[in-house]
Amino acid sequence: MKKIVLTIVLILSVIQSYGQVLKVSGRVADSEGGPLEGVTVYVKGDKTSYTVTASDGKYEIDVPEHSVLVFKLLGFLSCEKAVEECRDCRHVDIVMEEDLMNLETVVVTGTRTPKLLKDSPILTRVITSADIKRVDALDVGDLLEAELPGIEFSYAMDQQVTLNMQGFGGNSVLFLVDGERIAGETLDNIDYSRLNLDNVKRVEIIKGAASSLYGSNAVGGVVNIITSGATEPWSVNVNGRYGAHNEQRYGGSVGFMAGKFNSMTNVQYTSIDSYSMKNEGDYNTFYGGYNYSVKERLQYEVMEGLKFTARAGYFFRERDIQADTRDRYRDFSGGLKGEYDIDGKNRVELSYSYDQYDKSDYLLFNDADVRDYSNVQHVLRGIYTYSFEPEGRHTMIVGGDYMRDYLMSYQFEGNGYYVQHTADVFTQIECNLDERWHLTGGLRFDYFSQKKLSHFSPKLSLMYKVGGWSFRGSYSGGFRAPTLKEMYMSFDMASIFMIYGNPDLEPESSENLSLSAEYAWKYLNVSLSGFYNWVDGRITTVWNEELGGMQYINMSPMQVRGIDFSLSARLPFGLGARLSYTYTDEAIRPGEPLLSQTRPHSATVKVEYGNSWKNYGFNIALSGRLLSAVTTDVYTSATNYEDTETVTYPGYTIWKLVFSQDIWKGINLNVIIDNLFNYVPDYYYSSSPATTGITAAVGLSLDVEKFFRKY
Amino acid sequence: MMGAAMMPLSSCNGTFNWIYDEPSLAADFGFIEIDEAAGTGTIYIDATSYAKWTYIDFQSATIDTTMLSADGSENGDVLSWDFAVHRYDTKTNEGLVMETSFTSLDAFAESGKLPDGEWVADIWTDSTVTIDMSGMMDGEIVYAPSYYNAELSKWLDVDTSTMPPVYALSGKVYLLKTADGRMAAIRLSNYMNESKVKGYMTIDYIYPLGL
Repeated sequence: MKKIVLTIVLILSVIQSYGQVLKVSGRVADSEGGPLEGVTVYVKGDKTSYTVTASDGKYEIDVPEHSVLVFKLLGFLSCEKAVEECRDCRHVDIVMEEDLMNLETVVVTGTRTPKLLKDSPILTRVITSADIKRVDALDVGDLLEAELPGIEFSYAMDQQVTLNMQGFGGNSVLFLVDGERIAGETLDNIDYSRLNLDNVKRVEIIKGAASSLYGSNAVGGVVNIITSGATEPWSVNVNGRYGAHNEQRYGGSVGFMAGKFNSMTNVQYTSIDSYSMKNEGDYNTFYGGYNYSVKERLQYEVMEGLKFTARAGYFFRERDIQADTRDRYRDFSGGLKGEYDIDGKNRVELSYSYDQYDKSDYLLFNDADVRDYSNVQHVLRGIYTYSFEPEGRHTMIVGGDYMRDYLMSYQFEGNGYYVQHTADVFTQIECNLDERWHLTGGLRFDYFSQKKLSHFSPKLSLMYKVGGWSFRGSYSGGFRAPTLKEMYMSFDMASIFMIYGNPDLEPESSENLSLSAEYAWKYLNVSLSGFYNWVDGRITTVWNEELGGMQYINMSPMQVRGIDFSLSARLPFGLGARLSYTYTDEAIRPGEPLLSQTRPHSATVKVEYGNSWKNYGFNIALSGRLLSAVTTDVYTSATNYEDTETVTYPGYTIWKLVFSQDIWKGINLNVIIDNLFNYVPDYYYSSSPATTGITAAVGLSLDVEKFFRKY
Repeated sequence: MMGAAMMPLSSCNGTFNWIYDEPSLAADFGFIEIDEAAGTGTIYIDATSYAKWTYIDFQSATIDTTMLSADGSENGDVLSWDFAVHRYDTKTNEGLVMETSFTSLDAFAESGKLPDGEWVADIWTDSTVTIDMSGMMDGEIVYAPSYYNAELSKWLDVDTSTMPPVYALSGKVYLLKTADGRMAAIRLSNYMNESKVKGYMTIDYIYPLGL
């Protein structure tokens, strides 16, 4: 009897639900009325029934009554429409607006879970691929300088590039590519020229400590470069750029999507001549050279929710620095990652990553290419994510890494090597307490085998959202473990003095407090944030009278504090502007071996205007960097820290004009005028740009697959 | 492709080692090559020490060394010598040196005649031959008083105004006339070993030089 009743109930419910199904159709257009193809249309809360708009923008979908349709397309603001709201319930036309402020860009760096930029509990700055195209940057260094104030790349000894990001050096800012660390360093900085932008989807930057998720080196911030796979059934791009000092860049890519495979291959070659500066200075020649890279990224989607990504890359750079030697840098990288979205609630990610960065000298008189540095890192990682409620109201992640770090170096006695094993576990809980409050807490434990060092890094952040406003506050811990180099160096500096490592170094640590207010609207974004960092035990070298040489030590505590302000606007008729300003105050006690050289004020400005028609589009962008002077004390002797003299490094502004044109189908022509107002330093300090004045460049890029498009 | 990505697993300390040259650290110093028929050869010396003079004698095809003190005195006996090398500094045994415009010994030999030029004798100096660089950070370099041949020492220019210093090899052929009238043609072809350590000098020569 029970069975019969149950069967009847089931049949009735099926009939009833059949009765509720509506066939809804309509057309999706952009704000100018043009059809939008590829818009995903689905029922809110049920991602299993969905459709995609055709080339004329039209769609048709079966939906239950009382449902809400969601329209999504990358680069456009998503729309929701309750079927009842329409006069004719069976016909729903939609106009989608462009996401001019990137509000719906998904970011991952702040929490290690995908978040819309507007919902990220950690204030994140995103540089999109469109920005990259418009700014005409050669590598990540160029890009960051152009887009963010407070970032300054200058020259250290031997014309090696060194970063200062609001008081934090290259080893205190963690650079990642798709979440993976970069092996190798020179004078505490990774090789930024490795990080070219040929397959970059976006760059995410978070400021402040982030060791609770990323461990060592995330003391002052994290820069995460996110690469892209193929987005078209097939694509072929070739590009070239020619500029001053015989600067040449040629690149190409081939991508395809076939069944469950997605592949993207990139190659790039760049070269530039050495050239002389116009005036005297700390350096008077820019050393030219060339580099090339090959990258492959292959994804295989076994089934919906389960995918594997394999990647491999090779990079080579040669620098013409001396008449007898060519500096050579090589990198071999590879990795395999499996991601499994088990049921919408449980997600697992496992990865293995390999990175080998070598330095060698090609000795012209000996005709020998002799390696004197090799850093090999193997990393295994597992991350498990659990969403407590269907819409992911609360999320927990648990993860861990193991890394084997091998370092052979000319800076070790007898060109020897050291190996260190590091392991960590971390967890983070994100709670959407209600519609407005969002709380994130995290903790990480890191262990380093060489000296059995360990470190805990906490994080606590709170976000309050109301209307277009977001208020964020966070406390986070950062640290940097002493590197093998800093512990074991024994290096004869040109027979002049020795530099010794120090196995007893403590980790460098930082505590970061930040508060921010952000207002986001579809045409405008304003943010203001204040930050305070307490940095203890910064590692540097100091003259040691007993040893008669330099030795690594931990410095006394110092403070870095400041304010960031950013205003950007983009209007539908093609006008855009951005102003970013930062004030940094670095407080270091007198008598410490390092003194502040951070410019207090810096700003970046960009104004652009663009428009596009069927077979032609253009964008003209004027961008500028404004850096204040910095007056600081420098020690008059390298072996004692008492006598100082005052030095002023002058401020300057440098401007760039980029005129981009999209011609016919897939032809992009860039004309660039760099250093528009012809800034030439009177004296080339190591922090002065290596410019000889106004220069021009031209770039051409062809997307071959677009030639074959019918519309 | 995935296999390629996994391959490095097998090699914890890195891969692709075959790309590089292994430095062959020659331990033999002295007249390492002598072609008596052609009257040419190669001398390889270790001049890495600031406290050492290496003496070269063409007649016996041998080298000898002495230890140098800050007061200029030397510890060690040298019976017979033609020129000597300390780091990149040179001196002669009361000889004379002329820099030619030739950049290879072959080209010089083919020319078949003595070029015009000035013969330069040694000078006495107390501000050139460095014996202690350890005080350089404080601008206190210690020099040993010594004879010094400025002409032959042009074979390598070391500009220490930048860090690290910039080395420029002249590549030229130098003529050495000894006190008793014998002649040799000398050319410095390298100043470092394959581990990039500077001060390992490779000197090609023609001796005896009959022009």
